[in-house]
Amino acid sequence: MSRRTDSVLLEDESWERVDNATGGAAAPCFQCGVCTAICPWGLVKNEAVSVRKMIRKAQLGLPDWSKDIWLCTTCQWCESRCPHEVDITKVITGLRRLAWKEREVPHGLPTLLWDVYFDGNTLGRPPSERPLWTKGITVKEFSPKDDILLYLGDDAAYDRRIQKVARALVSLLEAAGVTFGTLGEREPTCGDAVRALGHEEYLTEIIDTNARFFKEAGVKTMVTVSPHCYDMFANRYPNLSGDFRPLHYTQYLLELITSERLKFENELPMKVTYHDPCYLSRRNDVFDEPRQVLQSIPGIELVEMERSGQDTLCCGGGGGRMWMETAAGERFSDLRMQEAAETGAEVVVTSCPHCISCLEDSLSVVAGSGLRVLDLAEVAQMALQAQDAPAKATASGRA
Amino acid sequence: MRPLNIIVCLKVVPKPEEVKVNQETMTIERANVRSEINPPDMNAVELALELKEKHGGTVSLLSMGPPLFDSYLRLILAMGADRAYLLSDRAFAGADTLATSYTLAEGIRKMGEYDLIICGEESSDGATAQVPPGIAEWLEASQITYAEDLEVLPDGQSVKARRELAGGYEVVQVPLPAVVSLKVGANEPRFMDFDRKTWAEAEGPVTTWSAQDIGLDEGYIGLQGSPTIVSGVAMAPSAERRREFLSGTPEEEAQQLLERIRSSIRLD
Amino acid sequence: MAKSLYDAKDARGIWVYLEQDQGKLESVSLELLGKARQLASPAKLKVTGLLLGDKVAGLAQEAIAAGADEVLVAEHPLLGQYTTDGYTKVATQVIMDGKPDILLLGATPNGRDLAGRIAVRVRTGLTADCTDLALEDGLLSGEVTGFGGGVLAYIKCPNHRPQMCTVRPGVFSPPAPDSSRKGKVTSVPVELTKDDVKVQVLEHVIGEGVDITRAEVIVAAGRGCRGDFALVQELAGLLDGEVGWSRVPVDQGWVSRDCMIGQTGYVTRPKLAIICGISGAFQFTVGIEKAETIVAINLDEEAPIFEQADYCVVDDMFRILPPLIDAIKKAHGGNGGR
Repeated sequence: MSRRTDSVLLEDESWERVDNATGGAAAPCFQCGVCTAICPWGLVKNEAVSVRKMIRKAQLGLPDWSKDIWLCTTCQWCESRCPHEVDITKVITGLRRLAWKEREVPHGLPTLLWDVYFDGNTLGRPPSERPLWTKGITVKEFSPKDDILLYLGDDAAYDRRIQKVARALVSLLEAAGVTFGTLGEREPTCGDAVRALGHEEYLTEIIDTNARFFKEAGVKTMVTVSPHCYDMFANRYPNLSGDFRPLHYTQYLLELITSERLKFENELPMKVTYHDPCYLSRRNDVFDEPRQVLQSIPGIELVEMERSGQDTLCCGGGGGRMWMETAAGERFSDLRMQEAAETGAEVVVTSCPHCISCLEDSLSVVAGSGLRVLDLAEVAQMALQAQDAPAKATASGRA
Repeated sequence: MRPLNIIVCLKVVPKPEEVKVNQETMTIERANVRSEINPPDMNAVELALELKEKHGGTVSLLSMGPPLFDSYLRLILAMGADRAYLLSDRAFAGADTLATSYTLAEGIRKMGEYDLIICGEESSDGATAQVPPGIAEWLEASQITYAEDLEVLPDGQSVKARRELAGGYEVVQVPLPAVVSLKVGANEPRFMDFDRKTWAEAEGPVTTWSAQDIGLDEGYIGLQGSPTIVSGVAMAPSAERRREFLSGTPEEEAQQLLERIRSSIRLD
Repeated sequence: MAKSLYDAKDARGIWVYLEQDQGKLESVSLELLGKARQLASPAKLKVTGLLLGDKVAGLAQEAIAAGADEVLVAEHPLLGQYTTDGYTKVATQVIMDGKPDILLLGATPNGRDLAGRIAVRVRTGLTADCTDLALEDGLLSGEVTGFGGGVLAYIKCPNHRPQMCTVRPGVFSPPAPDSSRKGKVTSVPVELTKDDVKVQVLEHVIGEGVDITRAEVIVAAGRGCRGDFALVQELAGLLDGEVGWSRVPVDQGWVSRDCMIGQTGYVTRPKLAIICGISGAFQFTVGIEKAETIVAINLDEEAPIFEQADYCVVDDMFRILPPLIDAIKKAHGGNGGR
């Protein structure tokens, strides 16, 4: 029986490149494998994706061109369990950064980046179409005197499903008497897609340009629709003016409720469960606020899934996965919807455009349960519109 | 296998979905329309860069247009091209495809030695697809149009490509030098290398030539050099469609639909 | 300006390039003959077909029945396969001898390959992808669409000859063949040697493909089908029609370009088009807008396709097609068509 020897020559130059690209993030890992054990891919695939091996290769300075580095949704579940607090996301996006240099990236991703470059959004649509989401309503241009800048993001502007969320948010802001405006056609893309896909150099250019633009426009408090945009502005963008205060809309709604500018007086009888977006709960510790908003609506009965709050199960859309194919039968959102159906809730409430898309894509898995997916802003808007007599709440989500 | 001198001819065009017609003046409003690199030309660039990676050599760009093309050419240098030439002169304006292909062919002659000229199959604005064969004829070079791929043969003297036909495809081989027009979508254009982009923007070799710089005969360029003229414009008539929306359950809608299309189909 | 090689005053007649492959005339050539005949008769002009190939003289009759008064046949073994260099050389020779006033070619890949080369060799103007042709004071006016398809431009070539135009297949209707028509078949001498033909055709594959430009009923699917064409195929079969698609299925790798409808695909003119899950950007609709009746099925009530449709159903194609198929089967009396 011959002994198999997988010998690899380790090179200094290669090690330096990998170390640079990953910012040395792989160093603290001592290869316990807890990351691999918790990674949600293990729930949908026959074989778990070995996160441990990817980190090991990075430690040794071996660039990884495997398909596996592109599977990561950057949900950070692994990081939440890692005993050495390894920044696993940074290792993986660092490996992706190298992959770009070597042009070893999945098909479709270069096209996506060109779309962002030429069109300024991930959907490849003209900037002039950004304001179309306001059809039938009036939303003004942002002025520095406004309470807040409402930052739409690409999905809320261009995706018909998410436009409904934006419109719901507008009615909430108006009901609260908030003065707000948007950047209209000039709204720049936040850069999350570029960050997720690992193109650090391009991301730097985006952040530099946009940060200066926000400063010149006099942006102070900005409220985002998407947790991904929020995460970018809160954690990656510099505070150039000293006054830059990005918020996710769930945080802002709670502020409005607490200061009694926004009140829910009518009953909205609805049994709901709340799906925490990774980028809000695990990444940014925002999991109380959405619940408090929900619970300030009379009639709402909130039941929790087991994997909730900071232990939420990823919908599968982060890490650039929205722009890659996920085979049917391998979708985290299928599991999530089943979990939601088991709570007996009528509605899964969430607060992220990617989560909405992924969860709605998995509705067929719970067909017959009557379960719907709604954004928190949509539920809150329904609460404002509810009459005193128990009325049938209209669904704005897809059946 | 010897290194190749490859030239890519490309164009910057207005984004088609943004072009509007001013109904009063009957002209095309380009003022606020954004531009893009003609998509098949991006595929042409990608092919050229792949060939350079495989065989060695250089990739040079050639374009005919106004000074604003300069920044776009630098983006392509950032993708990996080596140098760019921009033919820019008021005298080129109004050129139809005969004058355009003549001008580009002369630009190519001025650029020096070449083995392969790669173009996108057609541009999204004019969409005539005539410039590549035109260039080939002026240069007396071989041509392969509607290529889906390209292979340089080991002796470095000919190229082979699969090309689209009306009802199928064929594989042809032609001697170099050759002009190849590439089908849109034949490959995926790589994204820029940002280190290279910094170089391209600061000191990338982009040379602008006027008609005089390449010694062109004024009678062959621009409006003067164009046998075809636009004798008129009109608004395209919009087809008057019924736009009748059906409603009801799927079964009801299906039945309504059947009633309406009965006369268009044969039912035994 | 580069002068054309012969004067307008010496130019006569409308020539149509007869494209053939493996002994079969391309339908676009017949369509062009029909149009040429329409233009020529009132002006008492002669319509001539230009046929190149090897042992293809037998095709001349079909051209005459379609409207040619004369067919010039240039035969040579080296013309057996289309090659740019061989065909350009011979065609140019015949053109210089015959001095046509107008030369029309089908905008097929080879038609455009040839037209672009001839136009420069003969130093004349070429108007590509015309959507209509007219004669105005003896001058050919080619109608072309610009940009978003919302603008029509009329192009003329006043001084150079021949006035050349290419036209896409399906733009003009094929003429009803009139076998009683008489015409002349003239064999023209061909000077061609091996040195003239440097192109080698290594493989040449013509599929038993569907000619979607002639389909009377088309059922087309786009992004909304998510790669599943089963229902669309079943419906097309029941209606004795063909399946087509937009660019999205091709880009997604679900299908080949064979039956791609649109600006970079085929222009069709069916009696009935049922369009499922296609949003209706102009790049697609230019290939279907000539349909007599258009049905559009799309989940998005604001999809642009509804502007171009006669009957609009806002729903998922997977919910509408099954009952539609059932209804048609019942109407067929249970025969189920094909």
